[in-house]
Amino acid sequence: MASVTLRDIRKNYGNLEVIHGVNLDIADGSFVVLLGPSGCGKSTLLRSIAGLESITSGDIEIGGRRVNEVHPKDRDIAMVFQNYALYAHMNVKENMSFSLKLAKRPQSEIDEKVNWAAKILNLEQYLARYPRELSGGQRQRVAMGRAIVRNPAVFLFDEPLSNLDAKLRVQMRTEIKELHERLKTTTVYVTHDQIEAMTMADKIVILKDGVIEQQGSPMDVYDNPANLFVASFIGSPAMNLLRGKVKGLHVVTEGGVKLPLPKGHAAKEGQSVVYGIRPEHLEAGKGFDATISVTEPTGPEIHIYADAGGEEVCAVLRERFDLKRGMEIGLAPRLDKVHLFNAETGIAIR
Amino acid sequence: MELSKPWQIVRDLAAVIVTALFTFPIFWWALTSIKPSSAIFDKDRVVWFDFVPTWINYGVTLFGQSRSQIAIDSGIGMGVAGEAAYDSRRSIMESIVISVGATTITVIVAVLAAYALSRLRFRGRNAFLNWVLGQRFMPPIAILVPLVLMFKFAGMRDTDNYYMGLVGLMVLYSLINLPIALLLMKSFFDDVPKDVDEAAMIDGATRWQSFSKVVLPMVRGGVAASAVLVFIFSWTEFLLSLFLTTGIRTIPVKIQTFVTSTGNEWGFIAALGTAAALPSFIFILLVQRHLVRGLTLGSLKE
Repeated sequence: MASVTLRDIRKNYGNLEVIHGVNLDIADGSFVVLLGPSGCGKSTLLRSIAGLESITSGDIEIGGRRVNEVHPKDRDIAMVFQNYALYAHMNVKENMSFSLKLAKRPQSEIDEKVNWAAKILNLEQYLARYPRELSGGQRQRVAMGRAIVRNPAVFLFDEPLSNLDAKLRVQMRTEIKELHERLKTTTVYVTHDQIEAMTMADKIVILKDGVIEQQGSPMDVYDNPANLFVASFIGSPAMNLLRGKVKGLHVVTEGGVKLPLPKGHAAKEGQSVVYGIRPEHLEAGKGFDATISVTEPTGPEIHIYADAGGEEVCAVLRERFDLKRGMEIGLAPRLDKVHLFNAETGIAIR
Repeated sequence: MELSKPWQIVRDLAAVIVTALFTFPIFWWALTSIKPSSAIFDKDRVVWFDFVPTWINYGVTLFGQSRSQIAIDSGIGMGVAGEAAYDSRRSIMESIVISVGATTITVIVAVLAAYALSRLRFRGRNAFLNWVLGQRFMPPIAILVPLVLMFKFAGMRDTDNYYMGLVGLMVLYSLINLPIALLLMKSFFDDVPKDVDEAAMIDGATRWQSFSKVVLPMVRGGVAASAVLVFIFSWTEFLLSLFLTTGIRTIPVKIQTFVTSTGNEWGFIAALGTAAALPSFIFILLVQRHLVRGLTLGSLKE
């Protein structure tokens, strides 16, 4: 087991810099998720840790050892790929034992470790099968088995669940989390799925265009987004973001909607701001008026999309109101859950 | 879509007719090879099956038997003289050596080069690929005369050294087939995701190990296909062999010598021709299993 430290990592493709000085500490035994939209550099960063991608400048340390020039096989890492990258001509057992064979471990040890991994991953009855004879979830487990038999210092996952269907994804999510609880191996996990990130991570690192936008525990990132990007990226349905100017204890939008502010807010009078409120923090009641355009009952709650002074607002209500398109509804923001962002810079005003 | 009954019959009939059209010449050739001369040269009618089969044509071309001796033994009467010229055993050996050699050289070089072109990034890679493809643009006959001179200078003419002559044809066939084998192998390597190499590297493999233990076994189909292509080309090549060699007579060239000033030995031509089709046929049967594409299935998401 080991910690991973990234110091001022930069990566260029020709003249194009795609990673702009990333600093990150990944504590020993923690589960860190790199989250961001496609093209944000999260996979490049992961592949740099693996040694599959060289970095232009900066330092990568694994377990306190600088590994910039170390070959992937000597970094004591294991990686699970998005498309599994199984060896098609080897059966499950051969796939899992490949690394141990290359390391010239005794056969008894190989058997023991493969059986151990197969037991953990419920693959015991599939050891003699070939990848093409397995389902997507089973292939994913083989890929994980191949990683855990080596007992590496760090696990790297590159969007491992993207190719699975929704149901299996939820199941594998739990399995990966359980595996981590059990082995306590430092894990770096890349995904663009914020639900995966929220449910699995000890620490979420949100990336955009090669820069870390925010890092912290899932709930911290959710409750205190540092900027507009994080606010809009984390949470589903997404946070309502309404532009306006501060007037006393309100933000007034262009459409004339008056959004209440808590006492002692940090914005200046007359300042252009973005008013952020999560859908579940809007309650039916006295606040601002909106006209319902769409209602989506999900079972436990109702999602309402409504028009407030020309802007679309989403609210998640737990009560079962009988709501229809065209009806007027009063929406009251919970004042302690209001977020304010500087309209120019997008940075949270605190 | 399921066809209606009449259309199914039409389809099946069409399939039978097309197959018959394509296989008939082979069948006729094989039939001719076991006909006695009298049946081959009957000028009044086409002889189908009403003849006494004979193995004399095979005996002479493949086993070096004396035609006159066979004729005497079987009581048919005297044969034609000069049968030693029809003994093709050495030609068969030469064709086997050259074809197997050329196939081996081509496949080894093509596999290594294709892996590099598929996996490594280096300056001029695309230019190199275009250049490789360009090698196929010119018909070999256009460079025949300079080629003979070059082979003479390189000491690879069989008139100077028999063994170097064999090597010469091997090298030549390899050079001609390398572009197509290389491009074919590259497309197979390109089909194997790079993640597989990377997974192997993380598993502790060196570049060579990830090539030899992981990627190469996954492109067996491509190796088999390339080998078949090169082998069949080398086995049937006529023109270059005819011009470049004098003592060495590969099978196609040898068959051509059966067309003589005193007559065409159709029986021998048919026998050697039929026999010569067999190795390719057997070879394809052997590698057929590997020719099926989609061997990488299962390592990918789908």
